[in-house]
Amino acid sequence: MTIGNFGNLLMLICLLASFTQLLYLLPKKIDIDYRVLSRAPFFASLLAFTLLIYIFVSSDFNYQLVVNNSHSEKPLIYKIAGAWGNHEGSLLLWILVLTIFNFIFSYSKIKHVDFKKNVMAFQSLMIFGFTLFLLFTSNPFLETEITVNEGLGLNPVLQDLLLAIHPPILYVGYVGYSLVLSFAVGGMISNKVDREWAEWLHPWVLIAWIFLTLGIGLGSFWAYYELGWGGYWFWDPVENASLMPWLAGTALFHCVIILKKKNILQSWTILLSILTFSLSLIGTFLVRSGILNSVHTFASDPARGLFILIFLAIILIISFTLYAFRGPALDNKNEMNLVSKESGILANNWLLLSTLFVVFLGTLYPLGTDLFLQKSISVGPKYYILSLLPITILLLLAMIVGPSAKWQNDKILNIILSINKLFILSLAIIFGFSIYFAELQLTQITLLTLCLTLIFISIKNGLRVNQDYTIIKSSLGQSLAHIGFGLLILSVVGNATFAQEKIFQAKVNDTLILDDHVFKFNSVEQTEGKNFNAITATFYLMDNKTILDTFEPEIRVYSNPPTVTSETSIIRKFLADIYVVMNIPENSDFVNVRIHIKPLISFIWLSVILMVVGGISAIVFRVKLTR
Amino acid sequence: MSKKVKKRLITILLSVLVLLIATLLITINLRDNIIYFYSPSELQETTINKRNIIRVGGLVKDGSYKYNDKTKIYSFVITDNSNEVNVSFVGIIPNLFAENKGVVVEGLAIDNVNFTALKVLAKHDENYMPPEVIEALKQEGQWQEE
Repeated sequence: MTIGNFGNLLMLICLLASFTQLLYLLPKKIDIDYRVLSRAPFFASLLAFTLLIYIFVSSDFNYQLVVNNSHSEKPLIYKIAGAWGNHEGSLLLWILVLTIFNFIFSYSKIKHVDFKKNVMAFQSLMIFGFTLFLLFTSNPFLETEITVNEGLGLNPVLQDLLLAIHPPILYVGYVGYSLVLSFAVGGMISNKVDREWAEWLHPWVLIAWIFLTLGIGLGSFWAYYELGWGGYWFWDPVENASLMPWLAGTALFHCVIILKKKNILQSWTILLSILTFSLSLIGTFLVRSGILNSVHTFASDPARGLFILIFLAIILIISFTLYAFRGPALDNKNEMNLVSKESGILANNWLLLSTLFVVFLGTLYPLGTDLFLQKSISVGPKYYILSLLPITILLLLAMIVGPSAKWQNDKILNIILSINKLFILSLAIIFGFSIYFAELQLTQITLLTLCLTLIFISIKNGLRVNQDYTIIKSSLGQSLAHIGFGLLILSVVGNATFAQEKIFQAKVNDTLILDDHVFKFNSVEQTEGKNFNAITATFYLMDNKTILDTFEPEIRVYSNPPTVTSETSIIRKFLADIYVVMNIPENSDFVNVRIHIKPLISFIWLSVILMVVGGISAIVFRVKLTR
Repeated sequence: MSKKVKKRLITILLSVLVLLIATLLITINLRDNIIYFYSPSELQETTINKRNIIRVGGLVKDGSYKYNDKTKIYSFVITDNSNEVNVSFVGIIPNLFAENKGVVVEGLAIDNVNFTALKVLAKHDENYMPPEVIEALKQEGQWQEE
């Protein structure tokens, strides 16, 4: 039996084993241990995925996928990453992650067996659907019809260590929300959507969120240094596709917190669960179908998009039918007070969903005009910036006020008293900065002051102590993540305000001046890399006669496939990055050099790390329900 | 109407109003920031608004790519093999820019045949052809499947 046949057999096992799980959805109970068969898809897809990596590593050109995406001279790590750097492989990875979640969940200590079975059955339905998709439209183990001795290679832009780990992390995030949807469906079938349900769901919804946050952060980090455009976020459809489930997922876990604490908002939480995973699917659909004209579109095929759409439709029909019958009855009739922590969280929900609406419209509108009016358009970044500005201001306000309010009922005066000092301090700092360093406009002052207030308030909230002077650990996660968010917006605004950029046409020995930075163009050399030839230039950042830093931007010429890329050279300083990228126009005796001064970039990455660490500590220190 | 119902009604009306205004603002904002794409032939037939940023795409005409050392202006011609647009650009031309290859430029039209590019859009690999360019060539009957 060839490896390919074995791989196909494994996927067939995965398909059948997940199908047997569907039987639990039938009203009549079947009396076998539900956990045993549920684990089969996991082992099958894990082994299949290992086989796929093996044929990539061994450069087995009997397989179409290896021929299309690999090359024998490629470094080992990119051979491995090549396994999921394409549609078929990434779909197998998607299935593997679906089964991993089901596998781990099968060990959870939930005593409500009926609910647990329903969750696993619905998760298996998704495994079944995607495996069907894989076997019929995107078989990774397809053999070549003719003998091939060498592969076509992997797009050099994708030959990057970060990009090797970026998709798996992002997928854990996307697919993590599948289990959340299974929770929602299982909860509705078993009529079990209450505080206990929220407690079970809490860690899962956070795990998905952590991975999605990290995945988006890594993607942004990669785009920053690899694409060489000096930006870290382009409002590109593919980026937006990952941002949309993030926004919905963020709203969702805040809701889960209220449900767990106050036993309200059941049906709203269910709706958000459905919405979040649907957006994960839409994200996958947008990226994989190739209907988007994106700078990120690498591997795509319109025919495959159709399956994801049908699958999405099935999921939505099932969830909403259930919701129509069960949803309204789920809600407790507990009333909510306007001035309370829960209404603060609800306000945050609406603002996050407004952001989602803006992003959704901007991403999907060009698609609509292309499909229905046959007119190609794109939406400029200004749309997002202008639309999101007021929402962000309100969101920051809600994040400042919300956590300072008490559950159930509070007085507006109390809240104002608890935040006013820190607000005034922040305002003074920003005003001082504006007067002594650089003049700021009103919107910038507003945003920066609110960010700073949020950071201060969150630090204060994080440092709250118990009676025995130990830190209250349960609010640590929230505090860290909120500091992260405040820092993120602060850095984004600061970066946009103070970034500098200049293009030079330079010859060797030229001196390039940007603001108070002086660069000397020292040399140009030909160098050779593992699987490319490169032209490397050397620039010195000078202080009078001394060399402070050396920049070595490169132009790489890859032969498999033939591609030219510019490699950036970035030196990270505490307050700002210096970013140098060059290229050489045809038939010219000079090089084009673009130098950026990018303030606060390191703080953007730091803010992502803070949010991730916040998420982790929110799982570790989560409050247990008292029974 | 009881006091409670009245209160709830006002809340609902207010939220609907806020939602409507927000949606309206966002939609207007969207309309203002849309960047339209034109093929050279489409640009010929369009009334030019000199203040609107647009995109033009097609093939870079063979032998048209020039650089002026003194003015530091790049110039080239974008063609869909029926009509042409003259493009001028100051800045960095991407690595993958070449004659006879597809290109998309973003900037301002001076008239129906002259264009000032603010950006020349970078593409990832050599064989990549922007979908709009393929579409533009197809419409002029100039597209050949490889």
